[in-house]
Order: sequence, then C-alpha cells, then structure tokens
Amino acid sequence: MSNRTLGLMMGAVALLIVAVAVVFVLVLSGGDGGDGDDTPARPASDSADRDDATDDRSTQEADDRDDGDRTTGGICGENRLVTFGDDPATVFDPIQIGDASTAEYTAEIFGGLVTLNLDLEVVPDIAERWEITDGGHVYTFFLRDDVVFHNGRRVTAEDVKYSLERAADPANFSPTVLDYLGDIVGVRDKFNGRADDISGVQVVDEYTLRIELTEPISYFLQQLTYTVAYVVDREQIEDDPNNWTRRPNGTGPFRVKTFRPLEEIVLIPNDRYHLGPPKVDEVVFSLSGGSLSTRFQNDEIHVALVPAVELAGVLSGESELSEFYRPVPQLSIFYLGFNVNEPPFDDPLVRQAFAHAINREAINEVLFFDAAVVADGILPPTLPGYAEAVTTYPYDPERAAELLAQSRYADDMPRIILTFSGGGGDPPDNLQAYQQQWREALGVEVEIEAIEWSAYLRELRRGTFQMYSAGWIADYPDPENFLGKLFSSESRLNHTGYENERVDALLNEAATLGDQEARFRLYHEAEQLIIDDAPIIPTFWTISHYLVRECVQNWVDPGTIVPKYRYIEIDTSGE
Amino acid sequence: MSTVVAPLETGDLGTRPAPRYRFLRELVRKKIAMVAIVLITIFYLAGILAPWVSTSDPNYQRLTIEERLDTPSSEHWFGTDAAGRDLYSRVVYSARTTLIFTLVVILTGSLVLGLSLGLLAGYRGGYIDTAIMRVGEVLSGVPTLLLMLAISAAFRTRLNDVAFWLKDNTFLGDDARAVVPFLIIVGAALPFAWIGSARIVRSQVLAIREQEYILAAETIGASTTRLLIRHVFPGVLPIFLVGISASMAGIAGGEIALSYLGLGVDPSTPSFGTLLGNAGGVRTFQEYPHMLLVSGIPIILFFFSWNLLGDALVDIVEPRTYRR
Amino acid sequence: MSQGLAGYVIRRLLWTVPVIIAISILVFLLLRLAPQDPIDSLLGQRYDEEIAERLRQKYGYDRPLHIQYLKYVQNLFQGDLGVSTKHGDFSVAEVIIPKIRVSAGMGIMAIVLVFGLGIPVGVYAALVRGSFLDPLIIGFWLLIDSIPVFVSAVVAPWLFALQLGWVDLTYEGVLHPNIILPVFVMSLPGVAGVARLMRASVIQVSNEEYVRTARAKGLRERTVVVSHVVRNALLPMITAIGLSLPGLFAGSLFVELLFGIPGIARESLQAVLGFDFDVVLGLVLFGSVLFVLANILIDIAYGFIDPRIRITAARGG
Repeated sequence: MSNRTLGLMMGAVALLIVAVAVVFVLVLSGGDGGDGDDTPARPASDSADRDDATDDRSTQEADDRDDGDRTTGGICGENRLVTFGDDPATVFDPIQIGDASTAEYTAEIFGGLVTLNLDLEVVPDIAERWEITDGGHVYTFFLRDDVVFHNGRRVTAEDVKYSLERAADPANFSPTVLDYLGDIVGVRDKFNGRADDISGVQVVDEYTLRIELTEPISYFLQQLTYTVAYVVDREQIEDDPNNWTRRPNGTGPFRVKTFRPLEEIVLIPNDRYHLGPPKVDEVVFSLSGGSLSTRFQNDEIHVALVPAVELAGVLSGESELSEFYRPVPQLSIFYLGFNVNEPPFDDPLVRQAFAHAINREAINEVLFFDAAVVADGILPPTLPGYAEAVTTYPYDPERAAELLAQSRYADDMPRIILTFSGGGGDPPDNLQAYQQQWREALGVEVEIEAIEWSAYLRELRRGTFQMYSAGWIADYPDPENFLGKLFSSESRLNHTGYENERVDALLNEAATLGDQEARFRLYHEAEQLIIDDAPIIPTFWTISHYLVRECVQNWVDPGTIVPKYRYIEIDTSGE
Repeated sequence: MSTVVAPLETGDLGTRPAPRYRFLRELVRKKIAMVAIVLITIFYLAGILAPWVSTSDPNYQRLTIEERLDTPSSEHWFGTDAAGRDLYSRVVYSARTTLIFTLVVILTGSLVLGLSLGLLAGYRGGYIDTAIMRVGEVLSGVPTLLLMLAISAAFRTRLNDVAFWLKDNTFLGDDARAVVPFLIIVGAALPFAWIGSARIVRSQVLAIREQEYILAAETIGASTTRLLIRHVFPGVLPIFLVGISASMAGIAGGEIALSYLGLGVDPSTPSFGTLLGNAGGVRTFQEYPHMLLVSGIPIILFFFSWNLLGDALVDIVEPRTYRR
Repeated sequence: MSQGLAGYVIRRLLWTVPVIIAISILVFLLLRLAPQDPIDSLLGQRYDEEIAERLRQKYGYDRPLHIQYLKYVQNLFQGDLGVSTKHGDFSVAEVIIPKIRVSAGMGIMAIVLVFGLGIPVGVYAALVRGSFLDPLIIGFWLLIDSIPVFVSAVVAPWLFALQLGWVDLTYEGVLHPNIILPVFVMSLPGVAGVARLMRASVIQVSNEEYVRTARAKGLRERTVVVSHVVRNALLPMITAIGLSLPGLFAGSLFVELLFGIPGIARESLQAVLGFDFDVVLGLVLFGSVLFVLANILIDIAYGFIDPRIRITAARGG
C-alpha cells in the first residue's frame, strides 16, 4: 500500500465519521423542531426553565448525598412531586380514553359535571347541585358560574352539551361513549348517525342543563365521573382539530406544561381551579428511567410502584425500604373464568371442585408476602356496596375430590387448558401453583397456555377458551360495574357464557332502584348466587405496592380514576 | 453480526494430507479450546440428562415460607426461588431448553438451509447467487428481535391450534404440546439463521471452483457429489464451526430474550429467560443475589465457552483471517 | 476503476429495490395475516364489533390486502409512512423520529466507546502476542461479551447507583450524565469483537513485507508500529464501523427496557405487541434501507482506498 492509499484510507474513515455526524446532526436538529412537535404550544422559555431546574436539582442532589442526609432537602427540598406514570396509550382526548394510565392524567386536566372525592363519593364539580325528577329519568344540573377553562373562558351549559355530543359523534369513534353515556336519550341515535344532536340533553339556560335517561339507572352520576363525560373547549378543538390534545384546554386542577411521549409529563397548577387550586408547584410523571424502587432508594423519586417480581426485595425484613412501603387496595380483582358451555366446566360440580382445590392463602403468604387479599367474594372491600357476608369456596381438598367424584366427568375428564396473557390476572407463578394443587387434590392435569394480549382479548370475545385467567378493574365505583358487566346475560363483557334468570332479574332491578341500601342488598344476593354457580373463581383482590417518601402528605391511591394530585403537599421542612 | 471470512488458501487442498485431521490435531493442542469444549459438553450433557441429574421436578412449588427464596444448601444446591422451586433443577432443565433450541436452529437453519443455499449460490452463480446473497444481506439488516417478536406474536394462537390437532390426531400425543412453543421460536429464528453459513459455504465453493482450473486434470470428470465430499465439506467444516460458535450466543440469546419478555416458551418449560426474569430487579438482587447468580453464571459460562472456542478456531483455521 | 465502481454501486442499488419490496410485502403479510389487528389491541376489553368495524374502515383494514398494500406504497412514495393507531393517530414519523434521536445519541456514544476501547486493546494484545497477557486481555473482554444484558443491567445499577452512589437512574435526556451507565452496559460487550479484529489485523500487517523492510531499515520500533502497522491495520475498521452504523438507529432493546430509556427499540416492542401496523412496517423498512446503504458506503470506501480489493471478495458476498 502506498502513502497515497493510506491517505485515501484515512480520508475514507473521516468521510464515514463525517457522514455519521451529519446524519446525527440532521436528526438532532430535527430534534429541536421535534420537541416542538411534541408540544407545539410550549414556549421556548419552558425548555430553558426545565433544563435549569434539572441542573439545580442534580447539583442539589449531589450536595445532599455528600451530606449523607437523604430525607431533608434532596427530593423533599422542593415543592414539586416527582412520581411515575405509564406512557399514555392514547392522546389526551377524554372521549378516546379506555386505559387507566391515560385516564389518570386526563382526570387532572379536565373535569365534568360531577367528580369523585377520595372516598369515591360523587361530589359536585362543574355542576354545583342537581335535581333528580321523574322517577330517576331526568337529571337537572345547575352549573357553577365561576368555572373557567385554563385559558380563562367561562364554562356554560352549551359547552357541556357540545362535549357530550362530540363524544357521541360517529366521526369520533369513541370506544367508551356507549358504555358510559348510552343511557342518555338520543346518544345511541347520534352514535349510529340517525340524529344530529342528542335529544336527551337540553340547555335550559346558560347555567342549567337537563339530561333525560331512557332507564332510571341509579349509577348514572357514577358514570358521569368517567373521562368520556368531561368538558372540552369547543373553540380550541375547532381551531386546531389535529393537535389540540397536545396542550388541552380543560377545566381541571392542572395544566400540561410538558408532554414528551415515553419521557415525562409535567403538570402545573391551574390557579383558578374552582374547587381549590393544587398545593404543589409541579407534578412530574416520569415515564422513563430504570427500576422505580432503585430510583426511590436512590432518592430520585417520591413515589414508586413495586412490581410483584421485586416484592421480595422490598418486603423482606432487612430491607431499608420496608418503612416506606404502602399497600393500597385496588378496585379490582383477579379471577379464573370458566366457559360454562364447554365440557367439563358445563357441570357446576366441576367448577366448584376446582374452586375448593386451590389454596389461595398459601399463595398469598408465600408468593405475595401476605401483601395481597384473598378474594372472599367478587366486589372488593373498598367498593361502596361491598358485603362482608358474601363468601367463596375455602380450601378443602377432600370436599373438592368429593364434588368431582359426583360430577358427570368423574371418570372421563377431557383435556383442560388454562389460557393466560401478560395483560392482567394472576401472574404465571400463581397459575402454576393452582395447576399443582389441582393435580394433587383432584388428580386433574391442567395445561397452561400463554398467548399474546391482543390475541387473548380476541379469543376471549369469541369464547374459545375453556378456562382463562383474567382481571377486572372498576371503571366507576359501583357494584353494577362488576356484577352487571361480567355476569348479566346481556352484557357483551360476559365472557363465561353464564346465564341465570334470577341473577339477571336481580341485576335489572338493582340497576334502576333509587334506594342505595336496598340496591346493595339486591347486589349481594346476586353476588352470592353467582359465586354459588361458580362461573368464575375469584382469586385475589389486588393490592398495589407503593413506596412513598414521608415528606409527601395526603398521598392516596383511591384505587380508581380520581383527581387526587391537588390534595398533595410536600413537607419541605425536613422533619 | 455477519462474519467476514476470506477464502481459504487454495494450496491447502490436495497437496497435504486430508485437512480435517490437521484441523482436529491443532484443536486438541489448544488448551483453551479444550477447556471451552469441556464446558460446553457439560452444559449440553446437563441438558440431555436433565431428567436424571435434576434433584426435583423443576416446576414443583414448595409453598411454605421456610422453603421459598432459600440460599443454596445441601438440599437445594442452587437454593430456591420465590415460589419455592428448586433452582438447580430449573437451571438444568433450562439448559435442556437451550440445547433443544440451539440444536434445532443450527441443524435446520445453519446446516440444511445455509448449506443448500450457499451451495446453490456458489455453483449456479449469476442471478440466483445475487438474489440469495442480497436477500441474506437485507435480512441481516432488519431488526432481528423485532421480527422474531412479530412472528412469535402473530402465530402463537394458530400454532397452539395446530398443536392440539397434532395431539389428537397423530402419534405425537402430549409431546406435540411441548414441541409447539419451540416451533414458534424456531420459526422466528430460522429466517436469520442461514445467512452466515450460506456466505461461508458460498465463498468456499467459489474458492474451489477457481481451483478447478489449476488442477484441471484432477477435477475434470469428478462428479459434483465427489467434489462436495472430498473438497467442500472438509474445507467448510472448520469455518463452519467458527460461524456457529460466533452465532451461538445470538441464537441461544434469541430464545432467552423472547422468554424473558414472556413471548418465548410456555411458563411450564423452564428457560434461562424466565429464570433471569424471575430473578427480578435490582432490589431482588440486593436481597437475594443467589437467584440471579445461579441462573446468570451458567449462561455466561456457556456464551463464554463458545466465544473462547470461536477464538481458538479462528487461530487454527486461518491465522491471517480476521473476524469481527 | 471508478467507472466499474459506479456501475457496481448502481447494480447494487437496483438489486436493493426488489429485495426491499419483497421484505415489505413479507412483513406486511405477516402482520395482516395474524389473527389479531391493531383495533383489537386499541379497543381492548371494550371491543365492540360496531365500533371496531368503523375503525377498520377508517384505517382501511377492511379492504382487500393487495389494495391495502398498494395504498401503503402509494403513500410511501409521497413520503407518508402512515399513522400510528396506538399513539392516537400521530404520524409514524412523529412517533419514531424523537425515539430514533434518543437511540442514535446513545449509539454514537456507544460506537465511540467500543472503538475507542477496542482499538487500543487490540493493538496492545497484538504487541504482547506470545506472552500470557495476550490471551488474558482477549479472554477478559470475551467474558464481558458473554454477560447478557439482563444480568449486567441489574448488577450495574446495583453497584454504581446503590452501592457506590456514582450515578442516578432517572432518565434526563441523552446529554445528561445519567446516560453514562446505560451506554456502558450496551457498549462493553462489543469491545471484544473490535479488539479481536484489531489484533488480527495488526498481526497480519506486521507480517507484510513493507513492515519487515521498515524494521530492517532500522527504524525505531515505535515508529514502525505507529506509522506503519497501526495505520494500515485500521483498514478493516472501516467495515466494522460501517456495519455498526445501522445499529446506531436500532437501539438496544433490553438496555432501553431496563433503564427505561425512551428509545426506538422500546417503541418497536410496543408497536409489535400492539400490532401497530404502520409503525412496525416503517421501522423494518427504515432499518433495511439503512443497512443496505451502509453496506454500499463501505464498498465505495474500499473502492477508493484500494482498487485491487475485489469488492465482492471483501464483502464475502
């Protein structure tokens, strides 16, 4: 090789490096614009502010670490809450939301006629008060006159009507409108393109709205607390139909400061919030970063969620994190569902035998470190309307074997497959434990099959599973959301094929009963009937495992979607 | 990563005694290579003999507080996991999973597919050659894990149906169900498994064809089969081994990665992926380091042995050949 | 020579087109023939046949496959990669570009680290060849290479964040020091490969005639090594660097997952699991085109350096 070749070669290497650099710079410079793309309305100063804040924080953290003092100063030295979040599955458009993570942010940004407080009671939001007339068919809402959007525009009854009609507009494909607002007169007509407006929603005057229902359902107000009924700003949507969700103009306690998908969401207070403005200066939802419990331990984050696989590392006696541990019961349940129309689970005795054969207490003690709650019923204890009297099947292998021997499949057990997916329900270790317990108590071999989440959902709908592991999270805190949705023979979410006339009658009656106590009694009766028929085996009421710094005051997780960050205070005094 | 391998020196062929013996002799002389081979053999033997060398059913849960998360003891050599399962038995059965998976992928993908496509490309040349090599080039450029995931996610439900059909209608019986999770990930790995070996075989064939002119008298009249057996295979074997040892970590790693994500083998088949997933995060490592160590160290040693063997093979095959 | 090279490059490019079309059809069919589609994953448990049908109409999934494909290609030629069903109708470009930026940023750092460490290590190993140090060094890096990311991404944070307290784990952008740990975890396994390549290359060059001549002329050993051996031995690095370029944009899945970095690999996983058709297809095409371009770039580079190097031979294909 000559010197000339050498030079050329070095040149070529340089060329390659320059090419890389150019591509990189191109991508990065697209970057600044790209950041803008994420949040187009974000003023340039925001980004500078943020960077400064970040720098300050890291320096401060470094200093604190040197002092060896992690509870004062550090992450507790500023009046901002740093918590975690899931990447929003959809945009912040209230009518498009079907998942809990996006709903959590949306509930802080928007508001509806009514909302839930931390005790899961329906309380006024935009509506100051309401009257229920006509035997529960007509709701008249009287709106507050001091509610404004983040940009200062006053909210009137017209805005509410617009928001509800927008939700029902067939062009908007809302996946949730029929579930939550389908009982309003005219919503189905509008949704199916047979009407231009919702006939059951009438503006009486600027601050009065009348809503008429097809059935006098008693949980209508609960349904109205869901995101699909939130009030949106017509002017903003019409001005910028494609990008408004990136900086939504809602009526909620917080505004979006920054939204960077997969990175972070920063919310700042709406100081004019009519129910009392938030007390923190900022709420940061960190959507990225390494293991939450590690970052918590490293003093980088106020609140962490501990995944089941890391529970052992937090709950064992020696762990320094155990003092921050807070178990929070969720409005949700894990269960094993049976296809009641397919052998062998078309025989209730087989289902009951399976239920008696599993030892959930042992699983709780060993696999969950006693941090879960064995489901002794379907409705979770924190749900309004929970009945202690309802009971499920205790662990009783002898009884299980007896029941199986009486069933018609005693001598001829077909192959049984238990299907699960990572999307919800008992973790695989639990399923293996059940498998082992069925083998030991009943001599029945159950095969476990894992499939991918969206395929799971599709097959669940088609009813092709014999037995499946599933979970259910309440959308609104009412027994109807569990019993009516999962066990009414009319519900499309009834995947077990369960049908019981008495249960249907009870559920229908309860749905429209005004007297809350009497309603709950009907639900209890239905719940016990369902459990006795055993179309599902409730396994666990789920618990979320959190780590929370002690400087965070008023931190709660009510177990469902409730605007909750405005209550939080950070104790910066260092005590 | 693909492997860049220059053609073997053509002078090796014909003049010296059969090259494969020389190759084996040199291999035995390398101490590091022998250590690697011993380690790999132990790993594979553990996999083959899993039902006999394991001390317990790998899935058997001991649901008592005393027996969960046990550190290694005389009863549980590698300790137990959060569900009280014997980790030693799980590791041994995971080795079996790795063994079956790598064997199947290498036999079907690298050997059968790679060899035939490489031969085809080398002998026929022209458009067939270009087409095969270009397809391979682009395939090696698409994000492998991404496509493996897509394939696995797309066909899992379908293949499960196939498995149940096979179980009911063929002699396979229960084995059909056990085979299917493998079929999915093998199917997901195959499109990428042939590329490296096809390249090696092709360049070898090209080298030999050039040699035909040099040794015209000898090769004229020689049948293709004879040529293959006498010249191509012995020449290909060492380089082929180099290729396999280089791609082994990728092949075995593919299954481990899929299983780690919950998209690989079913949970009742122990795999290093699920073991490492269960060993959990940083917190669990701090409190119960044995879970990560007992499943991590065997797999590290396995990859390390193949790496060492590959390194030694390169030195033997062609001291001047460089590999990336 | 340059004429031959130009012809060669054009032929390569022409071959690329059908192959990429074939791959796009393959991936397209793979996604479309799966039993589930993005609407399933979008609607989840709230799936309603009627809404699903409307959504399928909206995205055109109800049309025959070949029409869908042609439509996709037509849009592609207008620079439109489609929309992400998962991310509420954001365009594919909007979804993937910010994430590619993150992954590419880490990739650049990783490449600098891998070659910055690998080249000196390789040169050193070659110079001490014959002593126990050579196999020790290479063996050490091979061992590092053998540690799966699932292990190192657990042990490294434990060691450096919890035990030593050197780094934080919150992701603060690619330009924040917190990125160092994930970059190390993703790049250290690559050092062994570069070091071995460099070592082999140095050894090979050392045996060349002109190096022996230089030594025979009595040049100082350092001069020989630096100005003759190392400079020439860098040649194969072109291939190595070139081939690692497309990887820049692919990200490292497990590093991104375990360190929670909003990169392209994590997005790819989500897209595949959510059957986000257009995003998956966009990612695969993007990756394939980059790879082909990088290969051609390498060939051109080689062609300029040394026309004697037969392009096909150098590339093994």
